[in-house]
Amino acid sequence: MLNAIRPKNRVIFGYLFFPILLYIFSVFVPLAAAAYYSLFEWKGGPKKTFIGIDNYLTLIKDSIFWQSFGHNVFLVAACVVGQIGLAFVIVLVINSRLVKCKGLHQTLSFFPSTISAVYIGFIWMMVFDYKRGLINWFLTFIGKESAVKVWLNEPQTIMIVVAIPLIWQYIGYYMVIILSAISSVDKEIFEVSEIDGANAIQRAIHIVFPLIKRTLLVCVTLCVAGNMKVFDHIYAMTLGGPGNESNVMALYSYQMSFQRSNMGYGSTISIGIFITSLLLIGGVQLLVKAYTKESEDY
Amino acid sequence: MKRKVLTLIAAASMLIASLSGCGTTDTGTAQEAAVAATDTPAADKEEAQADSSSSDAYQGELTVMHFSTEEEAKGNPGADGFRKMVAEWEESHPDITLSQNILANTEYKTQIATLAANDDLPDIYVLQGMDAVRWGADGLALDLTDVVVNSPDNVKYKKELFNAFTSDGKIYGIPALTGGTCTAIIYDSKLWAEAGFDTFPTTWEDVVKAKDFFDKKGITVMGFANKDQWQANSTFLTCIGNRFTGMDWFSSLVANDGAMFTDQSFVDALTFMQNIFASGIFNEDFNAIDHYTAREYYISGDCAAYIGGNWDMTYIGATLEESNPELFANSKLAVFPQPEGATGDTDTQANGLGYALAINPKVAEDPAKLAAAIDFIYKTTGADFANYVSSNYAVSGLTAPDSVDLSKFNQLTQDLYNFTYVDYKSSQIYDSFISGALWGALNTDLQSMLNGDITPEAVAENAQAAYEEVMK
Repeated sequence: MLNAIRPKNRVIFGYLFFPILLYIFSVFVPLAAAAYYSLFEWKGGPKKTFIGIDNYLTLIKDSIFWQSFGHNVFLVAACVVGQIGLAFVIVLVINSRLVKCKGLHQTLSFFPSTISAVYIGFIWMMVFDYKRGLINWFLTFIGKESAVKVWLNEPQTIMIVVAIPLIWQYIGYYMVIILSAISSVDKEIFEVSEIDGANAIQRAIHIVFPLIKRTLLVCVTLCVAGNMKVFDHIYAMTLGGPGNESNVMALYSYQMSFQRSNMGYGSTISIGIFITSLLLIGGVQLLVKAYTKESEDY
Repeated sequence: MKRKVLTLIAAASMLIASLSGCGTTDTGTAQEAAVAATDTPAADKEEAQADSSSSDAYQGELTVMHFSTEEEAKGNPGADGFRKMVAEWEESHPDITLSQNILANTEYKTQIATLAANDDLPDIYVLQGMDAVRWGADGLALDLTDVVVNSPDNVKYKKELFNAFTSDGKIYGIPALTGGTCTAIIYDSKLWAEAGFDTFPTTWEDVVKAKDFFDKKGITVMGFANKDQWQANSTFLTCIGNRFTGMDWFSSLVANDGAMFTDQSFVDALTFMQNIFASGIFNEDFNAIDHYTAREYYISGDCAAYIGGNWDMTYIGATLEESNPELFANSKLAVFPQPEGATGDTDTQANGLGYALAINPKVAEDPAKLAAAIDFIYKTTGADFANYVSSNYAVSGLTAPDSVDLSKFNQLTQDLYNFTYVDYKSSQIYDSFISGALWGALNTDLQSMLNGDITPEAVAENAQAAYEEVMK
């Protein structure tokens, strides 16, 4: 019966041809091209000199690349905790029987993730502005003038400062995913646990969390992938400064390729981003698998 | 079978639709461009044809890429003059379809770098001084030495402006738009008089002395911006460096003739720069704001002086004339004070023209097209352009205007003219030369140095390493 309604392979191929073609040209070809160009000394003109793996040897020793990689990893960690962690907590609060207008909360929370990252950067620049910014105004208002700072020029705290808009923007995005996961769980489970005397924190840790664990793990993977290629927020807010204190890998690749006309090395950094992201995502998934298996055994 | 045929037809039609969709758009754009280019009244056309030069032998498309957008042209003399000349040239060449790709400056730089990398440049484009040597050597820019020699405006050309676009005696670009100072100080003369200075201080020590007075008034001494990282180089170091090293040092550096970034005189300039920024005379957030924001500090009276380029001075003048006539009347221009220990010329300012029009060497394959491209460049950089920008804005570019009547301009515009072209010696703008790879590395370090996170010696060493990499 199933075979009778299954379309012929050629038909399936016919329908899949365009998406696959699109995928090949938008993902595979640029990646392969970057890998190819990374083997050349190419300063932007038509002349390319084959230098083998020299660019990669430079990359391994390039302290700015590794500093930028460290910043990406920091953003990943901050966003996993800040975006997914906070989204989880907020979802539990919204789901509480005491909260009214749940739909309104959901819509408003999701709203920032629909705004262009560059605008988000500009909005938060106004918040962090030294002279007219909201934070410094507030600190002055409460009499803490000594805490007033040029927030976008503090090497020690700049990564936290640029992580805040990123976290703020995507909390709503993960809230929607987590909400849909919770709503698919049978409500009776929550009611029974409540009758049995479990408080809100106990219900969150021992009931909700294990039941939506797989969804949370998907969120973590999305979060890691998203933050390894972050570019526009940082570009709008600090351009990677002061110095390279908030530089990230994608921005460094852009600066190298277009501002310093070193297309060959810029391509090498792109491949560097690809490999490090793959390793990080792979590592996270391995951890996830190990954790999931352990939990299931338990 | 029928279904298979239908599937195939559907797939094929999707493919054709998508391809023809692209085709239609392109044709449409080309047609619109052609219409736009030739849509002039018949009488004008005939007149234009009668006036047209020998380059009319070429009939077809000429592609031009530049960054003089309509928005940029509002108040920017170079952009306005360039657009005006392009429109006039287009009107007088009805047989040529001029396809312009006009982008904002930052996007332009990214796109032109991409096109250069693919050897797919337009027929005529704007070349940056820092790219000229390499692009010329790579065959991306046509040797225009003879074009310059044969130009009808050759005698009026300010020859020194070709330096940034010349390598081994070959000229790869004809300087375009308008030149101006990159290192000027605008100050509120009334406030400084109150601080005890009838004219702007001639030494930085005196500027620092004024800090106490302005602190009491709750005003910053000087406004500055360096978020984008190029400002510390282009609107400060390029002048101060020269005061320490003298003019010959940079010429030697450009010619790879022995000068080094690690030379003591340049390190001294960096050290001075670090110290003066640490003295507290500048707005604390200079590393976190761009010049669009910083110049508003001067306009709103938050600082007593502001350091910037001609683009800032014209904006500040135009804004104050409308919003604050008193501050406008009190605003005067000053050259950088001399740092202690600097042995180079005093009263210098960095001045030049960082952009030129270049021709894609592929254009030379068609002599008629090349003649049209050259004619376009003569028009947009020559006497017509010079007379337009001098009579409307009191500025000039490559070609000296026939005459300049300053009397019809306000005092600040007159001051800027004299500041830029008459009163002071010009030094070269660092980042109009050598390579963007070098300046990108130096500018990033400068930002850290101004925060005190890296020493001047380390900045000099890193710059020297980047320089050697570029020059090898």
